[in-house]
Amino acid sequence: MIKFLQKNLRLFFLYSRFTLKTTLQARVGIVFFLAGKLFRFLFLLVFILLLFGKTKIISGYSLNQAVIFYLTFNVVDSLTQILFREVYRFRPLVVSGSFDMVLLKPMHPFTKILFGGIDYMDILFVIPYLFLVVLFFFKTIAFPYSIFNILSSLLIYILFLFNSLILASAFHIVVLALGIITTEVDHTIMIYRDLSGLGRFPMEIYKEPIRSLFTFIIPVGVMMSFPSKALFGLLSGQFMWYTFGISLSSFVFSLVFWNYALKRYQSWGG
Amino acid sequence: MIKVANLTKIYKTHIKDQNPFKDVFMRKYKDVIALDKISFEIGENESVGFIGPNGAGKTTTLKIISGILYPTSGFVSVNGFTPFDKNPRFLKQIAFVMGQRNQLIWDLPATDTFELQKEIYEIPEHEYKKNVGELTEILDCKNLTSKPVKTLSLGERMKMELIAGLLHRPKIVFFDEPTIGLDIFSQETIRTFIREFQEEFKSTVILTSHYLEDVKKLSKRLIIINKGRIIYDGTLKKIIEQYSLTKRVTITLEKPANDTELRAIDIPIRYMFPKVVYKIRKSVLPEKIKAITQNLPFSDLTVEDETIEDIIKTFFRKNNE
Amino acid sequence: MKTYILIGITTLKEYMAYRLNFFLWRLRMFLGMLVTFFLWFSVFEKQSHFGIYSKNILLSYILYSNLISTLTLSSRVAEIAGQLNDGSIINLLLKPVSLFSYYFSRDMADKLINVGFAIFEVSIVVFSFKAPLIPPQNVFLFLPFLFCGIFISFHINLILSFIGFWTTEVWAPRFLFFTLVFFLSGSYFPLDILPKSIYTILMFTPFPSIFFIPTKILIGQINTISLWQICTTVFWAIFLSRCSVVMWKQGNKSFSFWGR
Repeated sequence: MIKFLQKNLRLFFLYSRFTLKTTLQARVGIVFFLAGKLFRFLFLLVFILLLFGKTKIISGYSLNQAVIFYLTFNVVDSLTQILFREVYRFRPLVVSGSFDMVLLKPMHPFTKILFGGIDYMDILFVIPYLFLVVLFFFKTIAFPYSIFNILSSLLIYILFLFNSLILASAFHIVVLALGIITTEVDHTIMIYRDLSGLGRFPMEIYKEPIRSLFTFIIPVGVMMSFPSKALFGLLSGQFMWYTFGISLSSFVFSLVFWNYALKRYQSWGG
Repeated sequence: MIKVANLTKIYKTHIKDQNPFKDVFMRKYKDVIALDKISFEIGENESVGFIGPNGAGKTTTLKIISGILYPTSGFVSVNGFTPFDKNPRFLKQIAFVMGQRNQLIWDLPATDTFELQKEIYEIPEHEYKKNVGELTEILDCKNLTSKPVKTLSLGERMKMELIAGLLHRPKIVFFDEPTIGLDIFSQETIRTFIREFQEEFKSTVILTSHYLEDVKKLSKRLIIINKGRIIYDGTLKKIIEQYSLTKRVTITLEKPANDTELRAIDIPIRYMFPKVVYKIRKSVLPEKIKAITQNLPFSDLTVEDETIEDIIKTFFRKNNE
Repeated sequence: MKTYILIGITTLKEYMAYRLNFFLWRLRMFLGMLVTFFLWFSVFEKQSHFGIYSKNILLSYILYSNLISTLTLSSRVAEIAGQLNDGSIINLLLKPVSLFSYYFSRDMADKLINVGFAIFEVSIVVFSFKAPLIPPQNVFLFLPFLFCGIFISFHINLILSFIGFWTTEVWAPRFLFFTLVFFLSGSYFPLDILPKSIYTILMFTPFPSIFFIPTKILIGQINTISLWQICTTVFWAIFLSRCSVVMWKQGNKSFSFWGR
């Protein structure tokens, strides 16, 4: 088991090195892409500021809290993009038949198709996002500061971020599995993006049944909103256990689904 | 080494319904039998060619033996392993080279892909250097390995693919249409390489191809698949003996001969002065040759086997009757 | 004329062949609309006005702008970049139809089917969540501006695709541009809630003409339309169409039609 992890970790670093080399070849594209991401982030931030310019509270949250929800979405989104960028290239890999070449190798396929193409550009964004989260967090809490409370809140926040990553990886693995089972969907991953986009703002803005749908059935709310709620101390203990339970079971489900998909795999051509 | 017994593979394809609602929610499926209880065994160091029409099941067979596809029923064992389990020790022993599919990293030089292969297959450093050296020597492409793959021509890329695929000295190599789409010079290069590789490294080679020239040059044993069933499993020599009933006789005429003279021997299958080609049954060959030498003004005469293509066509025709 | 109708019908048939794909595409668009709609809906929970906008008008703006942006932004023109990349553009060039007319027909079919579904989606929101939707107004004034919006968006798309004549990296500029378009055209909010200085500068760009101005006319706020604005819209329509034609001609001259 240790050897297995060691080997695949070594391969992960090798793939990451090659991805860096390839990324650096498209220099002009990088500039445009970074600019686009920056603009998108700033525009929505400005939008939130505009909204709260004329409104004090939306769905029970202040401006600073709303900003933290938005930033948390961006943190989770960036972290998942950093790790799982390769999933966006999976469909062309399958359609061209080159996925067979991955299956034939004595390594876990996820090393290539899940982690094999990390996105360096998002790394540039994640650090400022996290910094801003801490900044705005301090704006939401009352003076005098209790060191213990601050540290425990931030610790819980990080724990929930980690939980969100597990949930996100479950989503991505399901996307991979769908990529080899169905021939009809080109952009399952984009559907994931749009679903998770619902989490840019607190789930409270959505009316039922949408809110419940995206909290309990397709747990986008858990992934994007809960870390912020936990940071503000708004999540009961019950919900915390629910959160970890759902991400763990989603992860297990995704692995089972993937193995099922491999058996159903029909390959291309020939 | 490779043991296949009663292997069956059934694909489920769905029949598109005109009604969009029904098509998504109430799908009808139909079963397509890709392989129908096929059985064969392949021993060490054998070279086998799989041929058959498109959709016959050749590639499906290879993909099941290599572990890519999951068999619907039947028994498959390769060197004691069940392929679909994808045991790393099993995967290290095999290689699959597919014409027109690539595993080289497009934007980077081939050496980067080689390095990746080295890590994946856990090839020790000195062995890696030796194998790269040998393979680039045989293929005569030492100067190409540091150029970005996207700048290479199709033939050059194929060479890189071969090196990447065989770097780990697999015991069993599957070649799926390795020469497809290549010009005749590249085809010849690939064929020569496969033959030399097999002689040098003593691997088992299993080949599928549409070019019977590949099979003729590279395989001693022939397995013919049609509609998911094996209809022939034996040597190439035997199929030529059994199904080749005629020989091609080509005559070069010194001066034009008239129709009657030519037809007296037989009806030529081609006549474009100065060459005349006959297809003559083996049983009557000696007397026809005698008649030609006596009656026609020829300067050259050659007798050849039918092309493999013709033999296989005869074979299929006989089997479909 | 018949040819172009046929091109449109063929485009529609393509959608039927990829039904599930299209259905999921519409689902994605629907989700996008839901986010904006609910955000504004919750803003109006505690107040009845946001700046100069009442709840009814602003929510109507969001829903109508969704419909109209579907009409103006939906396009197949992005395919051109891919066709330039792999050389298949040759097939189109050898046909006795102009590329511009061909893609205009294709786009019309694309817009039609997308807007049909968008109307259905907006209706779901209106009926399920009792969204206040004011009836459309000033329809005759609206139509020419709608056409300008479609025209401007069509040529912007062409220009972005024609970049493919000179480089293979078409995707990144397109991404950047559409991020800009999405925000600066008024998808998330009506542009006039921006500070006046920024709003004025924005009105010089082609972005508001794409669907902000047509939507404002439709919800009855024709005070946005001044003679100056009409001139700006017309200017961009002419300028951008000239640009795309020039790029097309230049591109054809310098292109080497490689591909595999």
